[in-house]
Amino acid sequence: MKFSHIADCHIGSWRDPKLREASLDAFLMATAKSKEELVDFILICGDLFNTSLPAIDKLKIVVKKLKELKESDIPVYIIPGSHDFSPSGKTILDVLENAGLVINVVKGRVVENKLSLVFTEDKKTGAKITGLLGKKGMLEKSYYEALDKESLEQEKGFKIFMFHTALTELKPKELEDMDSAPVSLLPKGFDYYAGGHVHIIANHSLEGYTSIVYPGPLFPNNFKEIEELKHGGFYIYEDGNLTHFPIKIYNVVSLCFDCNNKTPQEIRRELLTLLENELEIFKNELNKTIVTIRMFGLIKEGKISDINLDDIFEQMYQKGIYFIMKNTTKLTTTEFEEIKINLEKSNDIEEALIKEHIGKARLNLKIVKAEPEITGQKEETPTTEQERETNEHQEEINEHNEQINTIKQLMTSLDLEKMEGERVVDFEQRIKDNFKKLLQI
Amino acid sequence: MINSIKDSVKGTIIGGSHNKILIRQKYDQKVEIGELLVSQEKDKPEKTLLQVYDLIYGSQLSQANLELISGIKLEQVSEEQHLSFIEHELRNYNLVIAKNLIQLDTNTISKSLPCFFSDVRGLKEEDLKFITKPKNPLHVGRLRSGSKIFEYDIYLQGDAVLSEHILISASTGKGKSNLTKCILWSLVEQDFCGVLVLDPHDEYYGRNKLGLKDHPLKNKIIYYSKNPPAGARSLKINISLIKPTHFRGVVNWSDAQYEALVAYYNYYKQDWIKAILLEKTEKEKIEKEKTERFTEKEKLTGMNGYQSSTERYGNQLNQSYGPNGSFQSATIGVIKRRMLSILDLSLNSKSDDIVSKGIFDFHSGESTVHDIAEELENARTVIIDTSNVSSQQEIFIGSLICSELFNKYKQYKTDGSLAEKPQISVVIEEAPRVLGKDVLEKGSNIFDTIAREGRKFKVGLIAITQLPSLIPRQILANMNTKIILGMEMGIERKAIIESASQDLNDDDKNIACLDKGEAIVTSNFVRFATPIKIPLFEELIFKEIQTKVKQYAKDFSGVNLG
Repeated sequence: MKFSHIADCHIGSWRDPKLREASLDAFLMATAKSKEELVDFILICGDLFNTSLPAIDKLKIVVKKLKELKESDIPVYIIPGSHDFSPSGKTILDVLENAGLVINVVKGRVVENKLSLVFTEDKKTGAKITGLLGKKGMLEKSYYEALDKESLEQEKGFKIFMFHTALTELKPKELEDMDSAPVSLLPKGFDYYAGGHVHIIANHSLEGYTSIVYPGPLFPNNFKEIEELKHGGFYIYEDGNLTHFPIKIYNVVSLCFDCNNKTPQEIRRELLTLLENELEIFKNELNKTIVTIRMFGLIKEGKISDINLDDIFEQMYQKGIYFIMKNTTKLTTTEFEEIKINLEKSNDIEEALIKEHIGKARLNLKIVKAEPEITGQKEETPTTEQERETNEHQEEINEHNEQINTIKQLMTSLDLEKMEGERVVDFEQRIKDNFKKLLQI
Repeated sequence: MINSIKDSVKGTIIGGSHNKILIRQKYDQKVEIGELLVSQEKDKPEKTLLQVYDLIYGSQLSQANLELISGIKLEQVSEEQHLSFIEHELRNYNLVIAKNLIQLDTNTISKSLPCFFSDVRGLKEEDLKFITKPKNPLHVGRLRSGSKIFEYDIYLQGDAVLSEHILISASTGKGKSNLTKCILWSLVEQDFCGVLVLDPHDEYYGRNKLGLKDHPLKNKIIYYSKNPPAGARSLKINISLIKPTHFRGVVNWSDAQYEALVAYYNYYKQDWIKAILLEKTEKEKIEKEKTERFTEKEKLTGMNGYQSSTERYGNQLNQSYGPNGSFQSATIGVIKRRMLSILDLSLNSKSDDIVSKGIFDFHSGESTVHDIAEELENARTVIIDTSNVSSQQEIFIGSLICSELFNKYKQYKTDGSLAEKPQISVVIEEAPRVLGKDVLEKGSNIFDTIAREGRKFKVGLIAITQLPSLIPRQILANMNTKIILGMEMGIERKAIIESASQDLNDDDKNIACLDKGEAIVTSNFVRFATPIKIPLFEELIFKEIQTKVKQYAKDFSGVNLG
């Protein structure tokens, strides 16, 4: 048995004209390689397209390629991913399936509120394939929680489970903040777990789960991925052996440049020299070379714009470089103090904003004060003026904090989402009830 | 069983001192050790709460007469004949010894004597106004008077109590686990704290019985296990996250051994354990690794790819061959053996590779510690099932997580954001394993650091033990709140009494008499050592799990259900 495992093609992801075609080219190269390797079938584990309704020009090419694969008797099994799934059902994947170009393996039935998945059997090899789609915000987690795993585990034969979800235990450190689900939500005992969604190349086994594989994206999807991965790739499985095939479209040169204590002129000079040196190796292939420059540090004097990166870029383009990208988020200058908010989470930012604006509007909210302290402790009457002032100040602080809390609770109440299967009326009532409770009305 | 409060006089104060008040018990009344009594004079507002700590017999007859009468009864009076005292209830009686607790009318510690010859009665509902529910409540049980239980829940001020540590102490079978389960159940509902539970008996989550998994807010319970049920997380910790300091208090390294650990860590960084285990002692091996690394980078960068850091790495290795030559092979050998054991690893001699057999892994679990810290910061309860690992491994896991957590909270204090963070509490069973005198004599560890300094950084311990005497007095004193259940061993009672927040010197008998589920809470956050009855966990949660969340038809959009 031989099959390709592809994921996260994200066709149509790059907006820059220079890289717009890269993901499509990577897809064409991967399918061509699969055909050349005579695979029995291809698995695409979500996010074939970057949106559920991709641009026609790209779609035309994809359809043509899928048709070729069909004519070559290479079935393509897919699952929708967080990017190309649409809750309204309006996704091009359905069109492709109805046209017989791909087979969506996310099939099943609901028995007593449990989701019982059905296997799709590959006629040529007898492989039994099933899986679950990926949704934005990890909403597929509830599918896993409702999954009838027993029936899947009892099935005999060579079984493949396709998924488009980050697994908690296998998340790399740099993606530790990514939403994820525990491995234990997957059914056990499959021969191959074909993963997508997390842009990493990984092949791991955990107790009860052999070969949990992520092939990584077919083409890097952002600056950081280009910098770290350089290129995309996919896996080919052949009778228990797994080989990763890189898809190399461009040469990549990644520079990490320390600007600390340097003047814009020095930076400019050193950067140009460095680029000259680093690009020497690709001097004959500059038109196929991408350069990423990550700059960091506190520059000695002047403004960041004094470095005149645009001019450096222009010089590089004149030399024939295909594409050059920069990241200067960690680059600072002493002349202009940047207003920095050391907040990484949206909750922290919200709280900081609430605190900033709390005094600007008076909230006429009934705030129920908590009873004082524990067993037997009563507030004592202040005796001196100083104590009274201290108490008043403390009360102000308390009121201030309570108002912040109330606003946060109101925001949380407004952030509630309609539960699956819940009627709109019930949902609205639930929101109203929460508000009444919160505002004591 | 909830007993009603009887409005009846139980006795009269007849003498004694402030802490040893003598009461003559009314003949038809029953008084128990630990019972709460109220002394109040008619038409006067002053009310004093007293607690019984001893009971003795009293009689108007002399000891010699009593001995004579009992002799007559035993030796000369047949079964048919009847021998009784004239006005028995006046001549013979019980004497109750009680201590002064608080002034109920002013809700202050009692500093005066109740009126001489005033009546004492049982506690009434109107006396219990002093019991209030604090802002961040931690439910511990119901008020108890002797063996009578009142329908008044006792709450502690959760955030304060947790930051200053809790010690739960009892003999086996007296209800430590039940109390812990009840406390955890209560804390799940609260947003002021996150709780990390190291569970060596896998008893809190309730894998096959009622447990925290049945909580209505079960999404706030995160369960890690080597063999997780569906929805729980596999306990996997990536070896690259381990630092030499995590072994403090877990393994007794000699100075040379620890220096070797640090040297390897400084040189190899996240690969230091691998370097030790593969005994990279020769130049060839280093060179081999260099080549492998180079190839690995080449693989990543692609055939035509280029990354300038690869050369830098190579140069770095060329400059030095690491710490290998500086340590004796015997030292490295011992470290290697211990590492293999504690990390549950084995070496595959054929492939020169390391095989992970348990929790510690080279591939998975890179985000585990971060995830746990994150969940705790979101005021969730994280239970780590350590039932399938050795005690040493359990402590090591706890040490690793707590170190990272503690450092994170220290950082929050530095950057001024600590006030916004929830309190963190770490539940540790058989606490003397990490806080015992013998353990700490060999060196400090993260748990005793938390015990000593945690309060400043909003990290506290809930230490559970049946042998508090093994914990140094200084640490016991740092445990501000103690929940004392029944303890038969005098030495253990003594250790607790000597370090309690209230004066329990007269309560030795009271503690010894505590039945299953009965406890005394002593803390800076309660007015007096409060007697409580801890509810049975199964009964406590029964009502809550009966109210099932309305089941909505699930939406499986995107799944072809045709």
